[in-house]
Amino acid sequence: MNLRRAANVFSSLRLTVVLLGYAMVLIFIATISQVHMGIHEVVQQFFRSWIAWWDVMPGERRWDLPLPGGALLGCMLIINLLAAHGMRFHKRKGKAGMMLIHLGILIMLLGEVFTGLLGKEAQMTLDEGQISHYSIYPRDVELALIEPMADGMQTVHAIPQSRLKNGAEFSFPGLTLRVDRYLPNSEILEERIAGKDFEPLRATAGAGLGYAVRSLPRETAMDRRDLSSAFVSIIADGGGEAPRLLLSNVMRGTQAFNVAGKEWNIALRQARLYHPFSIKLLDFSHDRYLGTNVPKNFSSKIRLLNPETGEDREDLIYMNHPLRYQGLTFYQAGFANDDKTTILQVVKNPAWILPYVSCVMVSAGLLWVFSSHLLKAIARRKNSVSS
Amino acid sequence: MNAPPKSFLAWLPPVLCVVYLVASVMMAHRSPAGFDFQGFGRLPVVANGRVQPLDSLARNHLLAMQAKQAVPGEGSPASPAAWLAELAFQPALADTRKIFQIHHDEVLGLTGLSRGKQKSFSFHELQPAFPALQREAARIEQIDAQARSSYEKALMRLTRNLTAYNQLKHALALPRMENIEAEMLQLVDRVAAALAAAEKKEAPDAALMDDASARMREMLAWEPMCEVYAVPTGKGADSWRKLPDAVIDAVETRTLPAAAVAYARMGDAYRAGNVAAFDAAITDYQQWLAKQQPSHANKSRAESLFNRCAPFYLTMVVYVAAFLVAVLSWLRMGSTLRKAAFRMLLIGFAVHTAGLLTRMLLEGRPPVTNLYSSAIFIGWGVLVLSILLECYHRNAIGTAVAAVVGFVTLLIAHHLSLSGDTLEMMRAVLDTNVWLATHVVIITLGYSANFLAGGIAIAWILGRRFASISESSSASMRGMVYGIICFATLASFVGTVLGGIWADQSWGRFWGWDPKENGALLIVLWNAIILHARWGGMVRDRGIMVMAVMGNVITSWSWFGTNMLGIGLHSYGFTDAAFVWLIIFIASQLGIMSLAWLRVPHGTD
Repeated sequence: MNLRRAANVFSSLRLTVVLLGYAMVLIFIATISQVHMGIHEVVQQFFRSWIAWWDVMPGERRWDLPLPGGALLGCMLIINLLAAHGMRFHKRKGKAGMMLIHLGILIMLLGEVFTGLLGKEAQMTLDEGQISHYSIYPRDVELALIEPMADGMQTVHAIPQSRLKNGAEFSFPGLTLRVDRYLPNSEILEERIAGKDFEPLRATAGAGLGYAVRSLPRETAMDRRDLSSAFVSIIADGGGEAPRLLLSNVMRGTQAFNVAGKEWNIALRQARLYHPFSIKLLDFSHDRYLGTNVPKNFSSKIRLLNPETGEDREDLIYMNHPLRYQGLTFYQAGFANDDKTTILQVVKNPAWILPYVSCVMVSAGLLWVFSSHLLKAIARRKNSVSS
Repeated sequence: MNAPPKSFLAWLPPVLCVVYLVASVMMAHRSPAGFDFQGFGRLPVVANGRVQPLDSLARNHLLAMQAKQAVPGEGSPASPAAWLAELAFQPALADTRKIFQIHHDEVLGLTGLSRGKQKSFSFHELQPAFPALQREAARIEQIDAQARSSYEKALMRLTRNLTAYNQLKHALALPRMENIEAEMLQLVDRVAAALAAAEKKEAPDAALMDDASARMREMLAWEPMCEVYAVPTGKGADSWRKLPDAVIDAVETRTLPAAAVAYARMGDAYRAGNVAAFDAAITDYQQWLAKQQPSHANKSRAESLFNRCAPFYLTMVVYVAAFLVAVLSWLRMGSTLRKAAFRMLLIGFAVHTAGLLTRMLLEGRPPVTNLYSSAIFIGWGVLVLSILLECYHRNAIGTAVAAVVGFVTLLIAHHLSLSGDTLEMMRAVLDTNVWLATHVVIITLGYSANFLAGGIAIAWILGRRFASISESSSASMRGMVYGIICFATLASFVGTVLGGIWADQSWGRFWGWDPKENGALLIVLWNAIILHARWGGMVRDRGIMVMAVMGNVITSWSWFGTNMLGIGLHSYGFTDAAFVWLIIFIASQLGIMSLAWLRVPHGTD
C-alpha cells in the first residue's frame, strides 16, 4: 500500500510543478552568482553537483546554504517523468504527442549529463608561425616529470591536479617525488620583500631559490588564471640529500636535476591534451569597422598536419565557422599580443547529436499537441455558434 | 436629432488616423525656405563603421547629449541637420547652444556651474571646466566600468559627449579656416609645388617651403580630431576617407575630390549667408553621388527620409487612439466602436510593419539585431498575435491589450535609442543572418507571446476588480491566455534550443549556462509550469491569470535583467535607468498579482 502511495507521489503532476519551480529557483541563483563567480565554477557548483552550496552573501562567507544541486534535480525530473508515463499515460490513448515531447526532454537531460561526463574544453594559443600538437586546460595544472630514456627519447609522467595534495608521494624508477606543499592559487615574491603571511617553506635548489610563496583564494573571473605553485622534494632511491624545488605554472620551461647520473626535468604546468596531429598558425587577422573598435571579424589561417593520414592542408577558422576535426571543435575564441597571437577554444563533446534529436522531437510534439488543442477549440466554437 | 449611421462612426476614427499619418509625412517632406538642410542631411558619410546620412549622425549625437532631437533656445537651428551645419561651419555660434544635459549634482559641482532653471549647458559654458573634467576622467578610466559610481558614470558620459561633439565639429571643415575652398586649393598647390621643387633639387624657396609645411602640419593635426569619413573613394564602406586625408591625397592628383569641394563650398556659402550657393553645392554633389555612388546615395536618402517620418512615433500615436476607442467600445456602441478600434489598430500595425521593414532593408539584416530592435519586434509580434485573436474573439480585448503593449514596447525602444546609433554594425560574433533570422526572431516572438498573455491577464484581473466583466468575456479571455501560452511555450522552446544549436555550430558546445541562456530557459520552464499546473488542476482561472502576469516579470528579466549583470556573451546593452524601470515594472506586476487575491466585489471565483 505504501509503495503504491510513493509511486503516486513520484508520478504526480504536482511533483513536476514543484521540480520545475525549483529548477527556476536554482537557475536564477546560479545566474546571479555569476556576478561574483566564474561561469565554470557556477556550472560545477550548481548544475553538475548533487548538493549545491550557495554562498548567500558573497564576500562575507557567512552562510553557505545547502540546496539540491542540478544532478539531484535532473534525476528527480527523470524519475518523475518515467513514473508518470509508467503509471498514468499508458492508460490513456491519444497521448503520442505528449510521449514525444517528454522523450525529447529526457534525451536533452541525458545530453547534458553526457556532456558533463565526457565533454572536454581546452585552449590552444598559437603565435603566428608557431606549431603545436597539444592544447592546454586553462584551469587545471599538472605536475610533469620528464624521464630521459636510454635511446635518447623521453618519457613524460603527468600527475593530475586532483592528486596534488600536501604530503603526497609518487614513486618512479630511481626516485620518489614528495609534494611538501601545494597551493592551487598563490603569489610568489622575492624573499626579502615578502610579508609575514608568506609560507615559511623555501626551496633548497633550482630556479625558485630565494623566493617566498603565499596562498591566495582561487580565481573566479573568466579571463584570469590561477597561479599555482608547489614545493616538491626529490628523494633519490639511494638516499642522501633531497633537494626541494619550487615549481609554478608561471615559470617558463622546466627545471632540471640529476639523479644517479641521469638528468631529469620537472615542471608544474597547465594540463595538456595531446593531439595526434599538429596545427600551425599561418596568419591571424582582425578587421574592425572603419573608424571604430567594433570587430568586423577575426580569423586564423592555419595549416593542419597529420602524419598518420598524410593530411597537410590549410583552413580558415573564424567566427561562426570553427574547424571540426577528429571529434574536436576548434573555434576562434580570442587574440592577444597585438593581433599576432590567436587563442582557439578546443571543445570535445561526443554527445553533441542529442540536443538536435531532442529539439526535433519536442518541437514536433508541441506542434502536434497544440494544434490538436486548437482544432478542438475551433470545433467547439463552431458547434456552440451553430447550436 | 438623427444619430449618425453606424458604419460612418466605424470608419470615422480610422479615416482620421490616415489623415493624421498623411499630414505628418507631408510635413516631414516639406522643405522650409532658406538653406536646403534637408538636402544637406541626406548626404552620406561613414561614421560608426557604416554609411549613414548626416541627418542620422546629427540626430544620434543630439539624442546622446540631451535625450531629444530638438535644439533648445531662441533662434536655434530648426532641425538636427541644420544644427550639424551650424556646428560644422559656424562652430562659435554652435558652442553657445545649451545641449549638454547634466543631471548629476556632483558633476555640476565640478564644473562650477549652477543649475538655476536650466538643466542643459553649452560647450562654451563648460569650457572652463575642461581641465577638471579631464583630470577626473583620467582617474575614472582606470576603474572597471562595472565598479564605477553614479557620479563617475555621469562624468564619463559628459566627457564622452564633449569629445564626440568636438569630433563632430571637425567632421566637415576645420573651424579655423576662413575661406575653406580657397585655402584647400592653396594647400594642394603649394605642397605640390614644394614637392616638385624638392624633386628637381632646385634651390629651396624658403617662404614656399615654410608655407607648405605649415599647411601640411595643420592637416595632419586636423586628422586625429576628425572621426567622420566624408569622402567616398571606392565601392565599399571601408574605402571612404576623412576630409583631411583626402585633401592630402589630392596633392598627388592636383584635384580636390568632389566631396571636399562640396563641403568647402557649403561652408563658405553658409558663412556668407548665401542660400543659392549652399544649395547649388549640395545639388552638384548629389548629382555626382548619384552617378558615382548610387547605392550609398540611395541608402542614405532612404534613411534620412525614415528619420524624418519617424514611423514608430506615428505608430505610438495611433495605438493610443486605438486603445481609447477600444475602451470606449466597452462603455457604449459596442460593435461599431470595436470595429473602429480594430481598424485603427490595423493602420498602426501597417505603419509599424513599414518601419520594421525599412530598418531591415537599411541594415540588410533580419529584424532583431540589438536591444532596440528587439523592443520594436516584440511590439510587432504582439500585434500579429492579437490581430489573430481579435479576428477570432471579436471583443476589443485583443485590440486594447495590443495597443497598450505595442505602445509600451515602442516607448521602451525610444528610450533605448537614446544610447546611440540603432542601426549599428554587428560585432563579428553575431554576424550571421541565418541564426539572427531563426533563433533571435523565434525567441523574440516567445517574448511577445508572454507579454501578450500577461497583458490579457492584467486586463482580466483589473476588469474583475474594478468593473464587472461578463462571463462570456471572461471565458474568451481564458481561452486567449491559454492559447497564447501554448504558442509562447512552443516559440520559447524552439528559440532557446535553436540558440543552443547556434552555439554548438559556432563554439562546439550546446549549452553554456550563460545568463541570457538561463533567462530563456526560465521562460520555457515557467510556461511549462503553467501548462502542467493547469492540466493537473492545481490552478483555476485566477491562478492561471496570476501566473501569466508573473510571466511578464520573468520575460522582462530575461529581456533586460540578464544584460544588467554585465557578464557573458550576451551582455550587449547595459543602462542604469533601465534597471530602475525594471524594478518599477516588476513591482507593478507583483501589485497586480496581489490584487487578484483580494476579494472580488462582483461575482464569484
